[in-house]
Amino acid sequence: MPRLDSVFHALSDSTRRSILRTVALGEQTVTEVAQPFQISLAAVSKHLNVLERANLIRREKRGSFQMVRINAMPMKEAGEWLAYYERFWNERLDEFEQFFKDKKDANEK
Amino acid sequence: METTTKTLELKLERTISASPDEVYEAWLNPKIPGTPWNMAEKLILNPEVDGFFYWAFKDIAHYGRFTKTERPGRIQYTWVSPNTLGEESTVTVTFKQQGDGTLMTLVHSGLPDTENGRGHEDGWNYFLDIFPRQFKDG
Repeated sequence: MPRLDSVFHALSDSTRRSILRTVALGEQTVTEVAQPFQISLAAVSKHLNVLERANLIRREKRGSFQMVRINAMPMKEAGEWLAYYERFWNERLDEFEQFFKDKKDANEK
Repeated sequence: METTTKTLELKLERTISASPDEVYEAWLNPKIPGTPWNMAEKLILNPEVDGFFYWAFKDIAHYGRFTKTERPGRIQYTWVSPNTLGEESTVTVTFKQQGDGTLMTLVHSGLPDTENGRGHEDGWNYFLDIFPRQFKDG
């Protein structure tokens, strides 16, 4: 799967988005990550696998704990692309819309 | 097994005070302000299916090919530029009658897949801000 496809796939699930928001605030153990959800540790582990494949989180073994932390880079790429084109097309469309407004105003005079 | 994949999509809407047919024609006319072609310093534009466009502004080149020209409802073309990192993205513009005017919708989809870019936490924060608009399912 192309990398950004896997990012957006990972983000298409509300539990995984919630996990990401939590670990964005600071690293946590897998048990801490699982705590707010009414699902099994195994189910949480599956969600973490999807997030890890998308390169959105990193897991690290520390003693008997497994720590989860965020990896923000793929988000940045997506955000930059979106921000650039949002501005570009908004400016274009504003000008386009204005052209027709001016034309209509001129016709009504 | 989860098989759904989502690609990032940018969607913008405007209401234009003219008929869909007029708006359709205007979007393909480089003389009309607001069309992408209007800002070109150099331009090749052949707006028919499999027709090619090239336009450059301040030495930044944009290329594409038209994939749909369904007058007066829909225009679709691919879009390649340094900002798509050379990958082909897709722009779809639709025109729907709305009262006396036209509801114009522009969708730019197909996020380039790249290993480029440097990570910053602000990138992540930014994304969380824009994120609800992209995925409204929760």
